[in-house]
Amino acid sequence: MDKLESEMGRILFILLSISMISIPLPCLSDEIPPKVILAHADRSRGNIGGIEWIIDLESREGEELHKRKILVKARGNNSLAEFIAPPKVKGQKILMLDRNMWFIKPGLRKPVPISPRQKLMGGASNGDIASTDYAGDYKAELVTEEVFQGEPCHVLDLNAANKNTTYSRIRYWVSKKRLVGVKADFLTISGKLLKSAVFEYGHSIPFQDASIPFISKMIITDEVVKNTVTTLVYTQVNLKNIPDAAFNLNLLRR
Amino acid sequence: MRTLRIFLVYAIFLELAYGLALPIPCTASFADHIFRVGQDQENTSFWTQLPGQLDFTMRTLVYGTYQDVARTTQNPENDFLQIPRYLGNLELRPDIAFSSGRLDLRLKPRMNLRWLAWEEGTREGDEDLEDDWYVNEWLLRLQIDPSLYASYGKENLQWGPSYLFSPSNPFFANNGRLNPIIEIPGMDFARLVWIPRMEWTISLIANTDEGRQEFNSLEFQKTYALKLDYSGHQGSAGLVLSHEEGGEDRIGTFGVWTASDTLLLYTDFNFSRNSNSFYPVPDETSPFNASMQSKNINNSSWKSTAVFGASYTLLFGPTLTLEYLYNEAGYSDEQAELYYQLRKDASEAYTDIESLEGLALMTLGHTADPGIRFFRKNYGILRVNQNNIRNVLNLSFSWIYNIDDSSGIFHSEMEFFVGNHARCFAIGGLYTGEDNEEFGDLLHSFLILGVEYTF
Repeated sequence: MDKLESEMGRILFILLSISMISIPLPCLSDEIPPKVILAHADRSRGNIGGIEWIIDLESREGEELHKRKILVKARGNNSLAEFIAPPKVKGQKILMLDRNMWFIKPGLRKPVPISPRQKLMGGASNGDIASTDYAGDYKAELVTEEVFQGEPCHVLDLNAANKNTTYSRIRYWVSKKRLVGVKADFLTISGKLLKSAVFEYGHSIPFQDASIPFISKMIITDEVVKNTVTTLVYTQVNLKNIPDAAFNLNLLRR
Repeated sequence: MRTLRIFLVYAIFLELAYGLALPIPCTASFADHIFRVGQDQENTSFWTQLPGQLDFTMRTLVYGTYQDVARTTQNPENDFLQIPRYLGNLELRPDIAFSSGRLDLRLKPRMNLRWLAWEEGTREGDEDLEDDWYVNEWLLRLQIDPSLYASYGKENLQWGPSYLFSPSNPFFANNGRLNPIIEIPGMDFARLVWIPRMEWTISLIANTDEGRQEFNSLEFQKTYALKLDYSGHQGSAGLVLSHEEGGEDRIGTFGVWTASDTLLLYTDFNFSRNSNSFYPVPDETSPFNASMQSKNINNSSWKSTAVFGASYTLLFGPTLTLEYLYNEAGYSDEQAELYYQLRKDASEAYTDIESLEGLALMTLGHTADPGIRFFRKNYGILRVNQNNIRNVLNLSFSWIYNIDDSSGIFHSEMEFFVGNHARCFAIGGLYTGEDNEEFGDLLHSFLILGVEYTF
């Protein structure tokens, strides 16, 4: 009897294992816990082993248009953003190590600690140019499903897991098929809408022997300062080994 | 010239040693996954890589300064310090950087043309034109190992979270925040930086020469430091142990805690002993009945200097910063009284008693720069700043208050960006102190207006 039970258990284990491996991930997405959905979406927004990209940032406030070009080096939750154009801001840097941020300005040698909320340009905060770790920073709840721009999406309600986040609440639309965040509403703790963002994924990068979509554009609409639209275009995405020294304040070029 | 010669020798050495500048091999796991979107494979020849390895920025500054000179005992009739009322500056500040593989080279040569005009003192009505050519900073750094870096050069090493003063820094008392237009003169440092883990950094630092710093009445002494940095999930901290040859021992620490996305809490403090700073002491042998003496040399009691601060960013943009500075090394009420009396006596002797002019000059030199960053023990700083107002304007207002003598500085900064290259700036200071108070004993006010153009 024991031998039969043991044999049945082994067969059941093998069948389950085969079914788990053979079913494609998108088909399972309905069953994926919100945390896992977020982890997938984070990967497509830079939270990966080591990556470098250029952000062309444009902020339009009414008739005024302002531009910045930023080189971002990111590894996990650490990132270094260096302004490379226009000349008036060239050499300025924002270093983000987990939740710690510093601003470095040429000529002023002392790095200044800043908070993630401090404004970068237009509707973009300093926290927006870095990679995201929503899976680590927020408690997620799957609230409904909606179609956004013709694409079925999970709608997640994200509440800050601690006080240590740029936004208190985020309503996040994640594509069911691609498992990438396509829209986000950023809210205050009382539910007031601060700004909205939509995301495009025109790049793809290799990840664990597969190819995953990678962010190519983010459009932020400020709901507090009306008529302000900030666009971040991601180009020259480059997976590379970024050493610890790249994020070290003692070694940064100033 | 000496610096330039040293630099040329290094440059030749670098040229010969270019073989060292080979790229560090990537780790196998990543080398297998190098991938670039929208770009061709890199051409690896030296000349095609050079533009990516060389970085050049040229800043040109034109600015004028107005200074309302205070007539005080520190600077009787402006004859002692001879502070000009008007200054006009034209500065060229090229920054050159070259990075290749394991080598990193930086050079910051400077040209400063300056026009000065005096309206007070013996130089009243005088004008002067000066030119100054120098290398403010340079650096040669070699990556010995992916986690180990060695460097030598003329640097301005700054760290710590506080706004006005970083007590844990044994090398630089001035961090440049009060007048960001003026560059802090570099000093010569040898450094070894080891990063055993992402979170930890260990630095050995030797300050080998005064470089462009002026120590006035204090003599430069070589200083050695061991610095340990830690960066955690929502905070960072540092420990700095240092020893000055024949002088001060210091234990410094600093830390920042990102309490939330809006609130930063920080501290920066220092324990020191054997300071060679000057203090006023009663002295019967002096015609002023007091003198400035380095009374703490060989005094093994530790004194503390601590900054506690918090900054909060409001939802609509501005950041409020509040700091308290406790400076145990500062003068007590009795010492301050003696200090101002000594200064008054020296000032009167300087103008009226010819036989005491030399002693008066030395005494005023020591009182002008006694070797401590702040004279008294308790200070408060309130700052409000907002950057990127309509993406073109940065504003900052600070109130620095000496709690012990009630003097203060109201300080403001404005930056306004025009087009892609130009930055207009205005920096103003208003001092509220009197003759026998700390803030206001040299100037009543100052205003700097200028333009920076970056190529």
